[in-house]
Amino acid sequence: MPTCPEFALDTFGDSQFDSSGMRQSDAQTIRDVVAQARLADELGLAAFSIGEHHRDDFAISAPDTVLAGIASVTDRIRLGTAVTILSTDDPVRVFERFSTLQALSDDRAEITVGRGSYTESFDLFGFKWDDSFRLFDERVELFAQLLEQRPVTWLGETRSPLHNQEVWPKLDSPLRFRAAVGGAPESAIRAARLGASLSLSVISGDPLRFVDYVQSYRDSLVDFGRDLLPTSVHGPGFIAKTDEQAIEEFWPLYDASYGKISRERGRPATDKQHFIDEVRSGALYVGSVETVARKIARTIHGLGVNRFDFKYSAGPMTQLQAMNNIELYATQVAPRVRELLAEARIEAGRLEGALAAVSA
Amino acid sequence: MSARDFSNLKFGLDTFGDVTVDDQGNRESDAKVIRNVIEQIKLADQLGIYSINVGEHHRDDFAVSAPDTVLAGAATVTNQIMLGTGVTVLSSDDPVRVYERFATLQALSNGRAEITAGRGSFTESFPLFGFSLGDYNALFEEKLELLVQLLGDQPVTWSGKTRAPLENQEVWPKTEQDISLRVGVGGSPESVVRAARLGIPMALAIIGGDPARFAPFSKLYRDALAQFERPELEVSIHSPGHIAETDEQAIEDQWPHYQTMYGRLGRERGWGPMSKDHYLAEVSAGSMYVGSPETVARKIVHAVTSVGAGRFDLKYATGTMPHSKLMRSIELYATKVVPRVRELLAESDAEVWG
Repeated sequence: MPTCPEFALDTFGDSQFDSSGMRQSDAQTIRDVVAQARLADELGLAAFSIGEHHRDDFAISAPDTVLAGIASVTDRIRLGTAVTILSTDDPVRVFERFSTLQALSDDRAEITVGRGSYTESFDLFGFKWDDSFRLFDERVELFAQLLEQRPVTWLGETRSPLHNQEVWPKLDSPLRFRAAVGGAPESAIRAARLGASLSLSVISGDPLRFVDYVQSYRDSLVDFGRDLLPTSVHGPGFIAKTDEQAIEEFWPLYDASYGKISRERGRPATDKQHFIDEVRSGALYVGSVETVARKIARTIHGLGVNRFDFKYSAGPMTQLQAMNNIELYATQVAPRVRELLAEARIEAGRLEGALAAVSA
Repeated sequence: MSARDFSNLKFGLDTFGDVTVDDQGNRESDAKVIRNVIEQIKLADQLGIYSINVGEHHRDDFAVSAPDTVLAGAATVTNQIMLGTGVTVLSSDDPVRVYERFATLQALSNGRAEITAGRGSFTESFPLFGFSLGDYNALFEEKLELLVQLLGDQPVTWSGKTRAPLENQEVWPKTEQDISLRVGVGGSPESVVRAARLGIPMALAIIGGDPARFAPFSKLYRDALAQFERPELEVSIHSPGHIAETDEQAIEDQWPHYQTMYGRLGRERGWGPMSKDHYLAEVSAGSMYVGSPETVARKIVHAVTSVGAGRFDLKYATGTMPHSKLMRSIELYATKVVPRVRELLAESDAEVWG
């Protein structure tokens, strides 16, 4: 089990609402996200990652552009994506932008690539959703080659060929590279083969069902002769004074974001009872500081991951809600999780001692 | 031209993010060059310069291939300067992505984003992104029209040969204020007329010879605007230069870096070698704004009055010239050249009208 887990934040840049319930301009939401990242930096969180969406309920379609703005006003926090939809972007352009971000941030850039779970970018950029696997398969391989910074020769079906091609700006230090996975076994193996850290997204059900999955990633790293790389879990959540308050405050936000997506995709509508079940025993980190800390500790301990990516924004939140959520996560939940994990280690030590005594 | 009003002349700065050497002559890393560009923009902002434009290149002598990403980094640490490109190579980019990135920059900068779209005078981006140089014109023409639509009223319905069609498409983020757009023009009359037809301000790149030669271009532009029944729009001049305390110092600073840079471009493009005599002729009577503040100010006055420009963008970076020299040049431009140009223009105005 990792001894010193990292605490990070994810946002998709959902369009925020003001305190009177009016939708803010996209521009104001973007500036608010910059303020959220600054707070996360001041509070010592490890990383801040922004998603890419091309639809009206999200203000951010160019996450690396937002991260560049954040880079100049933060000092320590790593700046990443959640995710960069590589299937519909050009790996060469993506490399150019992230290498620039790496320069602007004094080596704090981190890319998380994904196939995409929303369909909008496919239509918008002239691709077919049905091709998403093929597009991602090819492009992630090319991107991994570009990261090595040697001249690249590449031939594929999803972009024009490259012959002995170099791309600038050059990186001063390697770009942190993560692959977002949802649980498909081949994704974990590929991430290991390409040397990408694992970013496992679990947004429903018990996260601990992925324990073998995370282990298969580690085993694959060994198989490919790679050093051990970090693993993390992305999970949505909301923290308030009491469990009841968190549930009541978060339910309409959840329904307007995750619920809306479920309905668009023709899945059964999430009712409130289902939501509460997810909070009690699923993948939602919603409740008081103690409740959320216990759930995160359980996930980190149970899966043996190195990092937790708390997705603190969802649906029509206000800036005050987002900032409160970040502050409680950084100042109360994170220290409490560390405490719980330390206790768990002591427990594990006692257990080992007891077992040793029995077998002696 | 002397009857034009130059009292609102704007002063900008341009850089391509050339890979520089440090003060000891060692090549800087690309990353360091990018961070230096941010320092240059911050200084220009503090000194009240109107705009900074960062170019896009995809080759080893330039550190900036993603200018809008650099500008986003500058947006959150500057207050008043306009943040633009010089140019965004639209022919090899996707107007939808360009819109998304600049709308984001517009949000980060509270309305200071500016796109200067161009076809690009360097060819690297075409093979890199899978386009044919033979389609140079068609790519730009189509993509510029689509970008104009995206910057105007959405949703957009569009079909063409150079990207996938769009039907009733909206693109986010939405902006609070319109994004400024200019077209970079090198010297083709078709480009001038196209800018007028689309109603886009024109940025004229003048990199050699007497700028007065470009007066017919601005006249063509104004005539075309009138013909298309559009209001008069700003013409700006982009030209290279370097400012130091004295003319001799400026030449001594710039010549070795200019020689290296021009030599490489000359070999690539089949120009003859650049002799120092030719360079000095450009400095004294052509389009190199090199010298003391007084010398450069007088040259700028000549250029803007003969072309009828509303804005002058000095390209202050020259190949490998070190960051410290660029910072000094920016400082002299903002604190000495700009006020002196205003003074000279006011004097000539007084002569004309007095």
